[in-house]
Amino acid sequence: MRKVSIVGKLKRMLTNVRIIIFLVFVLFMLFAIMPTPWNEGVMIKNVIKNSSAAIAGIQNPKANAPPLSKEIILNINNKPINDIQNYYTFVKGLRINQTIQVRTNKGLYKLVTKEAFQIIELNTTQEITVQEEREVNETVNGTVLLVNKTMPVRKLVEVTARKSIGLEDLGLRVDNAPTTNLRKGLDLQGGTRVLLKPAEQVSEDTLNLMIDSLKERLNVYGVSDIVVAPVQDKPGFLGEPNRFILVEIAGATEEEVKELLARQGKFEATVGNKTVFRGGQDVTYVCRTAECSGIDPQRGCGPVQGGFVCGFLFSISLSPAAAQRQADATKNLKVITERGGGYLSEPLKLYLDDQEVDSLNIAEDLKGRAVTDIAITGSGFGASQEEAARSTLENMKRLQTVLITGSLPVKIDIVRIDIISPTLGLQFLKNAWWAGLLAVAAVALILVINYRRIMIAIPIALTSMAEVLLAIGVYALFGWSFDLAAIAGLIVAVGTGVNDQIIIIDETLKKQTSGIVFGWKERIKKAFFIIFSGYCTEVVAMLPLLFAGAGLLKGFALTTIIVVSIGVFITRPAYAAMIQILYEGKD
Amino acid sequence: MGIKTVLLGIYDRHYKALLALSLLILLASIGVIVMSKVQTGEYFQKGVSLKGGLTLTIPVREVHVDALEAALSNQFPRADVSVRGITEAGELKALIVEASDIQEDDLITALRGQGLPLEPGTYSVEVMGSTLGQSFYRQTIIAVLLAFLFMSIVVFITFRSPLPSLFIILAAASEIISTVAVVNLLGVKLSTAGVAAFLMIIGYSVDTNILLTVKVLKHQGSTVFERTVQTMRTGVLMSLTAFAATMVGYVFIQSDVVKQIMLIISIGLLFDIIYTWLQNAGILRWYFERKHKHAEGEHRG
Repeated sequence: MRKVSIVGKLKRMLTNVRIIIFLVFVLFMLFAIMPTPWNEGVMIKNVIKNSSAAIAGIQNPKANAPPLSKEIILNINNKPINDIQNYYTFVKGLRINQTIQVRTNKGLYKLVTKEAFQIIELNTTQEITVQEEREVNETVNGTVLLVNKTMPVRKLVEVTARKSIGLEDLGLRVDNAPTTNLRKGLDLQGGTRVLLKPAEQVSEDTLNLMIDSLKERLNVYGVSDIVVAPVQDKPGFLGEPNRFILVEIAGATEEEVKELLARQGKFEATVGNKTVFRGGQDVTYVCRTAECSGIDPQRGCGPVQGGFVCGFLFSISLSPAAAQRQADATKNLKVITERGGGYLSEPLKLYLDDQEVDSLNIAEDLKGRAVTDIAITGSGFGASQEEAARSTLENMKRLQTVLITGSLPVKIDIVRIDIISPTLGLQFLKNAWWAGLLAVAAVALILVINYRRIMIAIPIALTSMAEVLLAIGVYALFGWSFDLAAIAGLIVAVGTGVNDQIIIIDETLKKQTSGIVFGWKERIKKAFFIIFSGYCTEVVAMLPLLFAGAGLLKGFALTTIIVVSIGVFITRPAYAAMIQILYEGKD
Repeated sequence: MGIKTVLLGIYDRHYKALLALSLLILLASIGVIVMSKVQTGEYFQKGVSLKGGLTLTIPVREVHVDALEAALSNQFPRADVSVRGITEAGELKALIVEASDIQEDDLITALRGQGLPLEPGTYSVEVMGSTLGQSFYRQTIIAVLLAFLFMSIVVFITFRSPLPSLFIILAAASEIISTVAVVNLLGVKLSTAGVAAFLMIIGYSVDTNILLTVKVLKHQGSTVFERTVQTMRTGVLMSLTAFAATMVGYVFIQSDVVKQIMLIISIGLLFDIIYTWLQNAGILRWYFERKHKHAEGEHRG
């Protein structure tokens, strides 16, 4: 029997292709997860519109930004803020009209605290005089004309009072600074999940339109840590599926979400404070096909200082009544002439849920004319021509969505609502890690009892942990949310991984009693036949689950498929190679 | 003579009796499920995620679960209320209240009336519409059936031999049926995630059964019994390690969803040992010995 030194074995392992591939994957996934347990401070999840924080210039994080890229508050007024406890303690001690300095990893902001008011209706009315514009007949140079005249009008209004209710919220939604790039699912971080179902069957296009519109409205509201996704209960080729919209808002309360969804997406367009059209009945058609929307062929794209600008154009149809209002509102406006054409002195302002979202110049030829088909134009800017074109089309899509909002064809119902407490979620996560480690220990113990060799149990336990790491890495890499269902899938799938390793051990190390002695290659080949058959059945068994339950079990199915695939293609070959190097020639 | 030899002797000589025993267990399981259907109208008890209703998860330390359930049932006689504790290693960590046909606010007021500290943000609420629950139920059942069909196709392709493939499928089906029966007897109300756990039982079951069938079918040179016993050590070890992992998960994990998945898979793994090594191994041996006799008979003739 040849004796190979430990150093020699280690050298052979580190030069084995399968083991190298495995190690490369482990390193790569570690990089994707980026564990930084020493991170301190609090992460900004959301900045509420018009709050002190928003006024000071703190930006809302981008919707799909990886956790580690979010802005982190390091200290306030030079007092270190290490966790959310510190933060809340500090905020509690604030007074009205106080200026505070917030230092983040991206800059220094000066926030001024505001007083919050509640508007109370006093149930009485009061007569006041307001200036209002009225159409009156007037004789000018002997002819009777209809002119607008401002005159005092007496009106009855409800009397309201403003009552101070103390300090207004700073407008920051925060959490402890992330220590990895793994995005925690809603059931591990707390928040609200709503499943919406259109009141009638809708096509995929309509559903996507509804989703865009919802996203636009949630943006207006100032919520960024949010998922709005379409889900369906079976793949399209099996017939028309039921379609749902899944909305997940981290850190929002039930009341906030219900109120948000109950509002019917109010859209309004004004010219000089006069409403010319509203969403719903007034905008009868918004063109989104290539024939009448896209990059404006006449303006195209061109270089400007610092980059490129492109123009877009799309046509919409107004109801005759809205067209008339548009004509009335514009007939007395001045024309401002600039190179390339003239436009009117007042722009068309677009409001979504009472927030201004866009302002468009009105072409001079529309002045005072009741036109039902009008073209909406706008532009986008970018460093390169491609980027400019992309941002132009994005702006266009956004505007189209805004114009359509409020005229959504189908009502939506809330069919499921889950409110998950953040403290419970955190407890679940801590507990799951602990239970996972314990499970690995229990498995290792059984293996040691069975084989009476620690050198068999240790590689299995290490491989299982590596599989967990690789699977979590996949989640971090794609920015998927890691939730409870994923944890369940992980534990169960790692269990099948242990099973496969037991097969490899028994196929290769067991004494061959059948009389025929196979070489290592044969034995490993035999083990992999069994492992691969098992793998195929597990994957096909999980496929239907990707769709059932409107995708809420997708995490479970997906994790299982990912872990068993990583196992069969990456860790199992490395494990087999390791066992071969350790034990070949010993039997 | 050691106990191991005695057991192996019984396993060798009385394999047909052991096979019959496994079939009896299967029959008894079917009986339990039919009884449930007759008594309650359902094959198994559905939780709120499959029939609609609301679930509250409230972190508590000390509460009398049964007394609370009785009090709530008294207060809302028409609602189907159930209360259970979530324990971590035996220690009460949270309370789960499941209820159908009741308004969320009414239930919360009633719970506050029972002296539970329900601060907003500390507890979780899940509300499931009843039509959606029923459609989830249909979908998950269809998912299990489809998974079963796909699994059968893969097994047939792997072995290209109809009867042994059918034995594997029978073993997987038996495991699921018996697990449903035990879940019924334990009074567990199945959630959507629980149904998903049955799919994992298919996975584990097929693993051990494929191992057995490959060994018996493709390796020649010794008797079917010798090959079975050799493989059994590996197979039982596989089921036991998986059982250890899921059992630890069941005992220590706090989440109700994950707990149920772990419980169902743990039960399934125990049945996996019975149905792989008593049922499938028995049928395979019987099948091979008959085939063998047949072949010998033809030789002589």
